[in-house]
Amino acid sequence: MDFNLTREQEMLRDMVREFAQRELAPKALALDAKGEFIHDIIKKTAELGLVGIITSKEFGGTGMGHLARMLMIEELSRIYASLGFFFQTGQIGMYAIENFGTPEQKQKYLPALCKADKIISTALTEAGGGSDPSAIQTTAELKGDEYIINGRKVMISEAPVCDLAIIVAKTGDKFSAFIVEKGTPGFTTSGKENYVGLRSLPVGDLVFTNCKVPKANLLGQEGKGLAVAIGGISAVGRTGVAGVALGTAEGAYAAAVKYAKERKLYGKPIAELQAIQYMLVDCNMEIETARWLCYKAAVLLDQGKSPRDAGDDITRCKLYSCDIASKVALRAIQIMGGYGTIPQYEITRRLNDSIELFTAAGTQEIMKNTLARSIIA
Amino acid sequence: MKNTHQVWVWIEHHKDVINVGSLGLLGKARELAQQLGGGNVAAVLAGTDSPQITEELFSYGADDIYLADDKSISLFDSESCAGFVAGLAREHKPEIMLWGATSLGKEIAARAAVKLDTGLTAHCIALDIVEIDNVTQLAASVSGWGGNAIIRIICPQKRPQMATVKAGIFPPARFEKRQGGIIRVKAAQSPARIEVIEVITAPERADAPEQAEVVVAGGWGMSSLGGLEQAAELAKLLGGSLGGTRPSVDAGWISHDKMIGQSGVSISPRLLITLGVSGAAQFTSTVQSSKFIMAIDKNPDAPIFEMADLGIIGDLPEILPRLIEKIKAVKDKK
Amino acid sequence: MPGDIAVCIKQVPHPDCLAKLSLDAARGTVNREGVPAVINPVDRNAVEASLRLREKLRNRVIALTMGPPAARKALEDALAMGADYAVHLCDRAFAGADTLATARALAGGIRSTGGIALIICGNTTIDSGTGQVAAQLAEMLDFPCVTDIEEIMPEDGASLLVKRAWEQGDIRVRVRLPAVLAVNAKINQPRLPNVLDIMAARQKEIKEWCAADAKVEAGCVGLAGSPTQFWQAGEFHARRQGEILRGSPDEMVAAAVDKLKKLELI
Ligand SMILES: Cc1cc2nc3c(=O)[nH]c(=O)nc-3n(C[C@H](O)[C@H](O)[C@H](O)COP(=O)(O)OP(=O)(O)OC[C@H]3O[C@@H](n4cnc5c(N)ncnc54)[C@H](O)[C@@H]3O)c2cc1C
Ligand SMILES: Cc1cc2nc3c(=O)[nH]c(=O)nc-3n(C[C@H](O)[C@H](O)[C@H](O)COP(=O)(O)OP(=O)(O)OC[C@H]3O[C@@H](n4cnc5c(N)ncnc54)[C@H](O)[C@@H]3O)c2cc1C
Ligand SMILES: Cc1cc2nc3c(=O)[nH]c(=O)nc-3n(C[C@H](O)[C@H](O)[C@H](O)COP(=O)(O)OP(=O)(O)OC[C@H]3O[C@@H](n4cnc5c(N)ncnc54)[C@H](O)[C@@H]3O)c2cc1C
Repeated sequence: MDFNLTREQEMLRDMVREFAQRELAPKALALDAKGEFIHDIIKKTAELGLVGIITSKEFGGTGMGHLARMLMIEELSRIYASLGFFFQTGQIGMYAIENFGTPEQKQKYLPALCKADKIISTALTEAGGGSDPSAIQTTAELKGDEYIINGRKVMISEAPVCDLAIIVAKTGDKFSAFIVEKGTPGFTTSGKENYVGLRSLPVGDLVFTNCKVPKANLLGQEGKGLAVAIGGISAVGRTGVAGVALGTAEGAYAAAVKYAKERKLYGKPIAELQAIQYMLVDCNMEIETARWLCYKAAVLLDQGKSPRDAGDDITRCKLYSCDIASKVALRAIQIMGGYGTIPQYEITRRLNDSIELFTAAGTQEIMKNTLARSIIA
Repeated sequence: MKNTHQVWVWIEHHKDVINVGSLGLLGKARELAQQLGGGNVAAVLAGTDSPQITEELFSYGADDIYLADDKSISLFDSESCAGFVAGLAREHKPEIMLWGATSLGKEIAARAAVKLDTGLTAHCIALDIVEIDNVTQLAASVSGWGGNAIIRIICPQKRPQMATVKAGIFPPARFEKRQGGIIRVKAAQSPARIEVIEVITAPERADAPEQAEVVVAGGWGMSSLGGLEQAAELAKLLGGSLGGTRPSVDAGWISHDKMIGQSGVSISPRLLITLGVSGAAQFTSTVQSSKFIMAIDKNPDAPIFEMADLGIIGDLPEILPRLIEKIKAVKDKK
Repeated sequence: MPGDIAVCIKQVPHPDCLAKLSLDAARGTVNREGVPAVINPVDRNAVEASLRLREKLRNRVIALTMGPPAARKALEDALAMGADYAVHLCDRAFAGADTLATARALAGGIRSTGGIALIICGNTTIDSGTGQVAAQLAEMLDFPCVTDIEEIMPEDGASLLVKRAWEQGDIRVRVRLPAVLAVNAKINQPRLPNVLDIMAARQKEIKEWCAADAKVEAGCVGLAGSPTQFWQAGEFHARRQGEILRGSPDEMVAAAVDKLKKLELI
């Protein structure tokens, strides 16, 4: 077993780290306060080949793989989690199209997505409950060469800005996935929700009223829509959220260490107080554990394991990382005393971001259910 | 004329004004020559025939001047200048050659060192004559990393021993009216491969730290002030210039041309006030000739206090507003 | 331009770690153990400047370094930025070089590479920062040299127009090729390599040359070929008879202003 990154992965990490320092670090506070979609910055990541990092070169991607993607999300989220999270959701759709799409669909959509000329959402959740897919009420009815879609998806990342969406709707008593393009009559998006964290990530609703979608837009086979969506959400979504959690924790931890070494009480840095040291040790242990769970899941995918075969590892990395991110952020706030809750110290943002991660791509409890099922199977 | 133990100084000048670093080096060269046993100090001058310049060189310490008065020699052409000075050195074999560590001076010195196949020590902060293995020689000190480390470099086998020094390290000292000899020499012009198209002299920066009588130097500790407004106010109040350390340049508070230190400018003001500057050698080595240094820092162990004439141990947000107020009160009384 | 561009890069300790460096007082060498290394920051500007010229002049860019085996990483970074191939001067004989010996090794590397019309260096390094290597390299190759460059404009094939900084402003200079240029950090913002460039870097060649390959005698480079020598390390003493004030902020400020007034400093 070799715990070293390849030289390419190392260079990628350094490059993303520098990008984050240049483009995000000076602006993070302002971006968070403004809460607007950062398409300009995302375009720059596309020029660097980051948006298509798990898409094949054939379709305009760079195909560097899942561990490279994990490193990228970790580095970006260390500075500004909203941008890391963009890759979580954006790449679910790209993964689904590449793995389940027809050759025409891949050619049509992937190159523009890799360039971030187009933004894609993936929509499963409805108001009736995200954890329970059977609550999906949206329907797609085949009439001639078209499906007619009716329903509403809620809490969808990038919904207010998306150019296309993958949605899961009921076809009869089964579920199917569709690609719906912006501008299709009957397809509208609603304004954005005001979330406390991940402020540069616009989240909102997708609304379908007698929306006619050509048959060619069916993604994967009819009736297999859940497999399409869950495959992507697992391999890309859960690992992505885990990476965002890891980076968020690292960012909070780094700030806490720096503060503990600088802040002096009783004539010496508070880092010399054992109570503070113990908190730092806990953070350090948790981050290191999360990191290896995350890297392992990514490596398994790079080795060609299916999302199902890598399922336990994916579940563990999502569950654990998202669990510790908020813990680390809270400890960082505690270490920083009264300054910790002042937004300018950029720690409350870490906490706010981390609590968005519990639910995204499947709640912590659903992760536990999944793992439990596997354990007792 | 005694030919041994000579110490030479390359003279940089522009528009009939001698670079103050070159003038300071003449004084230092006198000291070194004495320690060597009383040799001559020679200034090497090219590209001018101004009598003011030569007179000034004598009064700042030169015994002799090697003068190539051909005005077509451009100090901007390091290749020709290095050829000229190396030729002279081969002939007269000086023991030591000193150069201002300026943008142009460094280029000439570096090339000359190759021509003479000898060592060149950069950005020296102290020069001493020492005896090692029975050889009397130059020990040139340069700053190392962090804290107050210095490294002393020697050139035991090759001659001349060469060093570059930033302006401000050795402040110029005028000697009593002295007379010396001008030795006129011809500079063989090599065909220029560099053509100077335009020299754009920046308008004298009135607020340049290296020229100011009073300098306020801001360090990383200014982060506690949330910026530099108060530091700027103090500088303005004292009619001085605001400069800073490398971290404060990196933080964007202070422009690069006002960075004080080994990678920036050296200063020798009447009064230097440091605000949250820890006192790393790369900084302190270039401010040591300031007349009076007052340091404000919250860390009683900060090395800056070791070189301060007056120190205030305290938190900048507490000290600075009070200091500004108090100085205002003094000024208002006048 | 009839010839290639060589860009000289040095691997240095990470800027945040300079404070952790120490000197091996016995040998006068730097302990770099455990300190991460990077390309000297301004050398990335030099690579960027080379690549921009290549875009106009369609020649090749060759990255050159003299350094220990680990310095290969610096070359890989330059290749990822876009350099065509690299030369690594790597030999125990090169160790302990002063600037003269460094320039000699680099000059050997340039000569052995052949066909170089332009050499671009950084103006100065962050670890020892003498800023002497470029001019010494030029002298050894008998090339003209301009340092502290903030702008490069290609002219015809035979010369370049450059803007250099100096203490009193700027100078615009035309320099005949072949030449050595040293650039400062103002000249450009170095590009970040994109993912494809990073993956392609592995396919590019890094030639590893010992002293003999660079056709320099082992005695002329490294410690043996260095006229300057480390003598001793010490502490910098600029001690003054300082008075350190104590008391409340108001008391200290009052005492300080009194003193400054007495000495007629304000
Ligand atoms: C920032 C963000 C971005 C999102 N982006 C998208 C997107 O792009 N596309 C998309 O489709 N959705 C998206 N979602 C929605 C997300 O997938 C859902 O929030 C999630 O599936 C949970 O659904 P819910 O909010 O309706 O909670 P519910 O499903 O109502 O769950 C409520 C609580 O019950 C618990 N619970 C539910 N079932 C069980 C069980 N069987 N056993 C134990 N406990 C259970 C849950 O863990 C939770 O604590 C996003 C959410 C967030 C916060
Ligand atoms: C504290 C300290 C002080 C020193 N002082 C002196 C001194 O005064 N005189 C002296 O002769 N030596 C000195 N040295 C030795 C000096 O560090 C080495 O000679 C070093 O190899 C090159 O010098 P530099 O880093 O100062 O280069 P600089 O002249 O500052 O470098 C300018 C440019 O030259 C190129 N370059 C430099 N080194 C290499 C390389 N190895 N490979 C490829 N390109 C390169 C790069 O483009 C670089 O940006 C000192 C060393 C230390 C540790
Ligand atoms: C080759 C090389 C060249 C270099 N060249 C230069 C150069 O030209 N110029 C330069 O400056 N540096 C240079 N450096 C960097 C140098 O080593 C130091 O890192 C730097 O000078 C430190 O700057 P500082 O004192 O502002 O910061 P720090 O060392 O971080 O010190 C900050 C100080 O502020 C104090 N402080 C903090 N908060 C407060 C408060 N609230 N109230 C009062 N005091 C407070 C702290 O106690 C501390 O003493 C160079 C380094 C190398 C290796």
